[in-house]
Amino acid sequence: MRKINTISDLEALREELQNFRKNFDTTLVLCGGTGCQASRSRELINRVKGEVTKQGLEKKVLVRATGCHGFCEQGPIVVVEPGNIFYCHVMPDDAQEIIAETVCNGEVIERLLYTDPVTGKTIQTESEIPFYRSQDRQLLAQNRQVDPCSIEDYIAIGGYSAISKTLAGMAPEAIIEEVKTAGLRGRGGGGFPTGRKWAECLEAPGDEKYVICNADEGDPGAYMDRSVLEGNPHLVLEGMMIGAWAVAAQQGYVYVRNEYPLAVEHIRVAVQQARELGLLGENILGTSFSFDVEIARGGGAFVCGESTALMASLEGKVGEPRPKDIHTVVDGLWHKPTVLNNVETWANIPSIVLNGSKWFASKGSKNSKGTKILALTGRIKNTGLVEVPMGTSLQTVIFDVGGGPTGKSIRAVQTGGPSGGCLPIDKFYLPLEFDALAEAGSMIGSGGIVVMDEETCMVDVAKYFLAFLQDESCGKCVPCRLGIDRMLEIITDITEGLGTPEQIDLLEDLANTVSETALCALGKTAANPVLSTLRYFPDEYDAHISQKKCPAGVCQALVTYSIDPEICTGCGICKRECPHEAISGKKKQPHKIDPQLCQKCGICKSECNFEAIQVK
Amino acid sequence: MIQRVAIKIDGMIIRAPKGTSVLDAALDYGICIPHLCRVPYLSDIGACRLCIVEHVVNGRSKITTSCTLLVKEDMVILSNTEEVRKLRRNIAELIVAEAPNSRAIQDVALRCGVKEVRYPFRNSDCILCGRCVSVCTGRFGVKAIGFVGRGNERRVETPFNMRSELCRDCGACIDVCPMAVVPCGGPMKTGEERLCGNCEPKMAFAEQTPGFCVWCDLGEGFQCERYAMGLRK
Repeated sequence: MRKINTISDLEALREELQNFRKNFDTTLVLCGGTGCQASRSRELINRVKGEVTKQGLEKKVLVRATGCHGFCEQGPIVVVEPGNIFYCHVMPDDAQEIIAETVCNGEVIERLLYTDPVTGKTIQTESEIPFYRSQDRQLLAQNRQVDPCSIEDYIAIGGYSAISKTLAGMAPEAIIEEVKTAGLRGRGGGGFPTGRKWAECLEAPGDEKYVICNADEGDPGAYMDRSVLEGNPHLVLEGMMIGAWAVAAQQGYVYVRNEYPLAVEHIRVAVQQARELGLLGENILGTSFSFDVEIARGGGAFVCGESTALMASLEGKVGEPRPKDIHTVVDGLWHKPTVLNNVETWANIPSIVLNGSKWFASKGSKNSKGTKILALTGRIKNTGLVEVPMGTSLQTVIFDVGGGPTGKSIRAVQTGGPSGGCLPIDKFYLPLEFDALAEAGSMIGSGGIVVMDEETCMVDVAKYFLAFLQDESCGKCVPCRLGIDRMLEIITDITEGLGTPEQIDLLEDLANTVSETALCALGKTAANPVLSTLRYFPDEYDAHISQKKCPAGVCQALVTYSIDPEICTGCGICKRECPHEAISGKKKQPHKIDPQLCQKCGICKSECNFEAIQVK
Repeated sequence: MIQRVAIKIDGMIIRAPKGTSVLDAALDYGICIPHLCRVPYLSDIGACRLCIVEHVVNGRSKITTSCTLLVKEDMVILSNTEEVRKLRRNIAELIVAEAPNSRAIQDVALRCGVKEVRYPFRNSDCILCGRCVSVCTGRFGVKAIGFVGRGNERRVETPFNMRSELCRDCGACIDVCPMAVVPCGGPMKTGEERLCGNCEPKMAFAEQTPGFCVWCDLGEGFQCERYAMGLRK
C-alpha cells in the first residue's frame, strides 16, 4: 500500500475507494462480533464468501464482516443492502438461500426475519425494529459500515478526515475549546469533563506527554468498549490522534484486557495498517505532528481499570492505585503528564471535530451531552448494546428499547456495574445522566444496566457485588480490603438468617466510612450496592432479619420448598429428578417434599411443568 | 536556603519546608495525627488511611490522607473534627479487629477512640500495613519482600516464596513491624479477645482529651517525633 504523505493524498485515496465501492450492486453485512461469533457467525461468513465465489458474484456482491450490531441476542445478524433487509439467527446453512433468494432474486426470506415479541409480527428492516427505533446510534451505527480489519472501509466512510481537518488548521487550544464547549464528559464512569482534562495536561510542564486509551472494561455483563474497539478500532485511533495533537503527546497506549482476543487483534491490525499508510509515525500527513500507538494487554484485574493502577500496570509494576493528590494529567505514566480516556470517550472525539461542538451539545441533557452506549441485560425481552442520548429516562430504555419484562414484573434496575447502585421502579423516571443518577445513589458508570424482576433478592444482589469487589480489590488500603470484607461478612449473615437489627446500622456506618476514606474510586464506590439497596429496599432487609424470610425466594437458608397439592398432578418428574430423594408420593397423587432431606437445590422447581413447586 | 510555606492546621499556623507532607509538618510541630503505614523519610503510600484530615478548599472540605498531601501556601487543614474522628475510629476498629494481640495496634485503636469492636475478632499475624515492604524497598532498595496476591489473598512474601539472595538479614522489616514492636501481655485465645486491658490508665487520659496523643507504645517504638523531641521524659 502506498504511503499517504499529504492531506490531498488522503482525499484522493478516499475518492478512489468510494468509486470502487460504487461497482457493487449488493452489500451483505455480516456481524462478526464476539457475540455473533459465539453463534457460529465465522462459519457463516466463510460459507457466504464461498457461495459468492462459487456463483461468480465477486464483482457484484460485497461481503463485509463487521463488528457488533448491538442486538447480540438475535445473532448472527445479516443485513442486505440496499433495502436494509434484516435477518437474524442466521445459520451457516442459510448462506446458500440468502444468496439465491435475496441477492439474486430480490426475494425476502420470511423465516429469517425478526419477529416482534410484543405484536408477534415479522419486521423487514432494521429501522422498523423497536429495539433500534428508539435509539440514537451515533457510534454504534458506524460499526456496520466498516470491516474492522480494513482501513480502506474506514477511509471510504469519511474516516481520518477529522485528523486531517485538525492538522490542516486547528490549534491545540482550538481543539480543546471545541471539546470543552461540546460538553463531553468521560464515558468510563467518572464523568470528568474531557476538555478540562486536556487543558490541564496541555498546561502541565514537560516535553514528554502521553495519551492512553482505557479498554480494561471489567464490569460484569458490560461490553460497550469491547464492541467499539472490536467493531471500529480506527475511530478510537483517530480520536487518540486528535487528543495527542491537542495535548502535544507523541506516544499513545491502548490498554486492553487480554480476555478480549478479538479486540486485541483488531486494534493491532488497525495500528499496523495506520502505520503502513503513514497515519501513525513521523510527520503525519506531511505536518510536524508525530505520534505512535502501542498496545498493552491487561491481565484481567478489575482494579487496573482505575487510572493510576492502569498506569502502574503499564509501567510493569503491580496494578495498584496510588493517591491522586497530584492529578495524572500532571504526574501520570512514568511521572509524565498523561491523558487517560475511555474507549467511548475517544470514539466521540472525531465526530465533535467534524460536526462541531454545537452538533454534539444539541444531544443529551443540560450537564451531560452526547449519546451513551449502554449494555442492557437482565429480565427484559430485548437485550444487547443500546445507544441513546444522555438524559433518556430509564423507563424509555427498559420498556421501549428493552421491550419490557420477560415474565414477572420488573421491580428494580442496577446501573453502573459493581460500583453503581440499585434503583426501584418508582425511580425509573430518572434521566440517564451523570448527576441525576449520582444524586439518587447510583451512577451511570460505564453503562451497564441490569434489569431485575420480582425473583431477584436485593440483599443477594448486594452480596453478589460485594463478593465481586472483595475479590477484585487490590487490598492496598484498609477501608477497601477490610471494609468490603466485613460488609460481606455482615450481609452473608443476613442472607443466612443470622442478622440482627444492629447490624443494619453497623453496615450503613461502615459503608459510609469506606466510601469516604478509600484510596481509589473502586473503594469509594464499593459501598454503593449496599447503600442504595439499604436506601430503597429497607423492607427487604427487615424481612431477612426480623421475619427470617427472603421475599424473592433466593436466599437458600431462608426459604422452604413445598408442593402445592392443588396444582400437583402427581406426574412424578420431580420425584425422579430430585438428587436427594426428598420427594415422595404415589403416581397421580400430590407429592410431598421432606424438609429434612431437601437441600434446596431448586431442581424440582425447574423440572415441574405445572409450577406446583412453591418457594417461600 | 529551604523554602518554607505557611499552612494552618487546626487553627495553628505552621511553617513547613516545601515538599513535605502535611502529616510530617504536623508531627514536626508536635500535632499528633494517628498513622500506621508511614515510615519516616520514605515516600508514603496512603494505605492505612488513619492519617485522614479535612482539607478545606474554597469553603468545601474534602477528606484526604495527610501523608500523601503536600503542603501548599495558605492550606487549611482540620485534623480533629467530629467527622474525621468518626471515620478514623471506624478504620481503627477494622484494624484492631484483625489484630487484637498487638499492643501497638491496640494503642492506635485507643488513640483513635475505639471503645468497642463491633465485628468478630480475627487473630491475624499480619495486618498488611506495608511498613516492612516500604522499609525494605524504600530505605534499603533490596525488595527482598513484597506484596503478593490481591484482595483477600494479599500477603507479604519473599519472591517466589524463596529467600531472596539480596536479603541481608538486616532485620529492618522486623524493627518496623507493629505486630512485633511491643508484644502484648500474652496472646489472647480465640474467643477471648478484647481491647487491651493494659491501656487502662491511657484510656482515662484518652477519654478526657479525645483526639490527642496518648503517648502510645507505637510511637515510642517507632521513634515518634514527640518522643524524639523529648516532650516526655
